[in-house]
Amino acid sequence: MPFYAKSEDWLHHSQLLLDARPETTTVTTRYHIKPARRRTKAEKAAAADDAEPPTATATPEKPPRGHLVIKTYDPTSGVSLKYKTSKAAEVGRLIQMLGGLGRKMAALPPAEEAAVAEGGEPVTGVVATEGGSGAQTPLPAATGAQGGNAGGGGKGKKKKGKR
Amino acid sequence: MGQLTNDEFFTKLSELFAARKGKSKGEILLLQKRFSHGTDTSPETTDSSLPPQLSQPLPILIRATNGKGKEDRKEKIKLSTLVQPGELDAFYGRYAEVCKTGMGLLKPRDRTRRKAKAKKKKAV
Repeated sequence: MPFYAKSEDWLHHSQLLLDARPETTTVTTRYHIKPARRRTKAEKAAAADDAEPPTATATPEKPPRGHLVIKTYDPTSGVSLKYKTSKAAEVGRLIQMLGGLGRKMAALPPAEEAAVAEGGEPVTGVVATEGGSGAQTPLPAATGAQGGNAGGGGKGKKKKGKR
Repeated sequence: MGQLTNDEFFTKLSELFAARKGKSKGEILLLQKRFSHGTDTSPETTDSSLPPQLSQPLPILIRATNGKGKEDRKEKIKLSTLVQPGELDAFYGRYAEVCKTGMGLLKPRDRTRRKAKAKKKKAV
């Protein structure tokens, strides 16, 4: 059961799975909250250097962090595809994806075709374009900010070459 | 528990998310699948390797639970609703809103780091 690094990859493979087994495939979204992880020694040392609280016995605790895992699962073949994130910025886009998969489940045509078929319903058109642009633009920036020096540099170069 | 209407489902789901706020652990599970119960898809078509071509769209089933089970069975909350094919877009619009507000403990977008990076690039 693979975890995909990119939500687009997850969506693509989920669509394929749903195409193959529309009857049994389910999509689950799991939002779970965990207490903040314990700080490592290095981090503690750094914190101590920055500011030494002489009286504060109770160190300021990090707030708990939420995580989101989306999973496409087909019980007949036992395939499960997963994607994991903890970024709030991605929630909207992921729900858009769930919506797209929902359309497939309902045996409806994809959003663009439906808009034409139903006489150009404005809402679907807007939603579709939003999803399209949102799915591509913010990701390189986000990964660039997240990744280390080497990864970030590589991403940046690529972007420059494209534009 | 029977199925809720979409409106009821959203209010209950918001409550479910709100109940998680301020706690340091817990989970919420959401599920979506095709609702094929009671439709006349005969068993031989579902068993065949080729997916049966449907003449008309089906509703989809949305479930939500607070992930309690076993010894916490009493505290388990289960919600479910059916979304008709025509209402899908409207439903997912609201679904996204509820989830965005409910999943408040995810990392907010970090703008400070990006700004610092941009500055660095300019300097170089």
